[in-house]
Amino acid sequence: MKISNYLACPECDLLLRRNTPVVGEKAHCPRCRYLLHHPRTDSIARTFALSLTGLFLLFPANLLPIVGIKVLGNAHDGTLWSGVMTLFDEGMWAVALVVFLASVLFPILSIVLSLLISGHLYFNRANRHLSLWLRTLQHIDEWAMLEVYLLGIIVACVKLASMAELKFGLGLTAFVLLLLVTVMLASNFDSTLFWQRIEQLNSHEKK
Amino acid sequence: MKKNNTAMTQRLYRCHDCGKLTPKSATSTHCSRCGSTVHARLPHSFQRTLALLISGFALYIPANLFPIMTVTRLGVGEPHTILGGIIALIHGNMLPIAMLVLVASILVPLLKLLGLTLLLLCVHYRWQVNAKLWTRMYRIIAFVGRWSMLDIFMISILVSLVNLGGVAQVIAGSAATAFAAVVVLTMFAAKSFDPRLIWDVQN
Repeated sequence: MKISNYLACPECDLLLRRNTPVVGEKAHCPRCRYLLHHPRTDSIARTFALSLTGLFLLFPANLLPIVGIKVLGNAHDGTLWSGVMTLFDEGMWAVALVVFLASVLFPILSIVLSLLISGHLYFNRANRHLSLWLRTLQHIDEWAMLEVYLLGIIVACVKLASMAELKFGLGLTAFVLLLLVTVMLASNFDSTLFWQRIEQLNSHEKK
Repeated sequence: MKKNNTAMTQRLYRCHDCGKLTPKSATSTHCSRCGSTVHARLPHSFQRTLALLISGFALYIPANLFPIMTVTRLGVGEPHTILGGIIALIHGNMLPIAMLVLVASILVPLLKLLGLTLLLLCVHYRWQVNAKLWTRMYRIIAFVGRWSMLDIFMISILVSLVNLGGVAQVIAGSAATAFAAVVVLTMFAAKSFDPRLIWDVQN
């Protein structure tokens, strides 16, 4: 029995003969219905293009004001950073840290890592850090929560709408676009393919 | 019933990070493809999940009892608990948003804690269950956890926007730290639980 012809389901451990589906088809575990593999068209090229787009959007989304309010003549703008800083100044450093990681650091890291990995794979460059990058990307992915943050913005705006005049900044547009890019990144990402390509590249390097 | 062929019965380890199968051997405990340590099951999955879960339950109490934020208007402060914020939304005729916050901040963390407890009980007492259904429950628990951060993000936006000195100010309360900790702890708990344990205890 050749091990590479087999795979195991990560959630029920069933041993299966590897059967790579074509693009557009999905492979589910027959026992627990786990989605084993869902190949995408040009996964590497699309990941490269999308993460490059995301890299450019990171700057306006993080630096420009997202929402502003005006109460009794006092205007105030809020960026992704200002929430973190205000929480920190109030002594809520643990909450500030969680917000910073989930809304700023992990989204940035995940875009940068996607760009690095897909760039190397797209141009067939081997790098001994590739597996480390992909492992890190897989682990932090769950902690980047831009979509939840957008929902938080919406709820906050609804709460404020009655007591203040709201102004939506260019940062919000960039933020929504960045969110779309990360969602598209996630849906075009084929981790099975990425791991296979990394293995190929690194084995050529060793020879 | 024919016993299914699993990676464990064939003495194979599935790498947690990249999925490659490695035969069990005395010499190598690392995945040849990505270098991470391989195990048959997530190490100490039961104990870790249990510990994180107990901490989650303990912090769920202050998270709901203490004020999550204080809204000051023209010098008059009004502390809000999570439930108080939802009631304020209902009074303000914003029922859909109130429902959203209710689900994300109260129901999801509670159901997550209870669901993971059930999963641990199932594994510990070797309950014979419909493993497919229970695995699906695990998947839902692992998926919805992140949405509870909604309240925390909302507070972070409110404190930075409503920061107008005497006119109006929002200050985060002590429950915010407890609540953020509950969300993070339950996310870690879901991550450290290995759903293959459900299948292992079925005969």
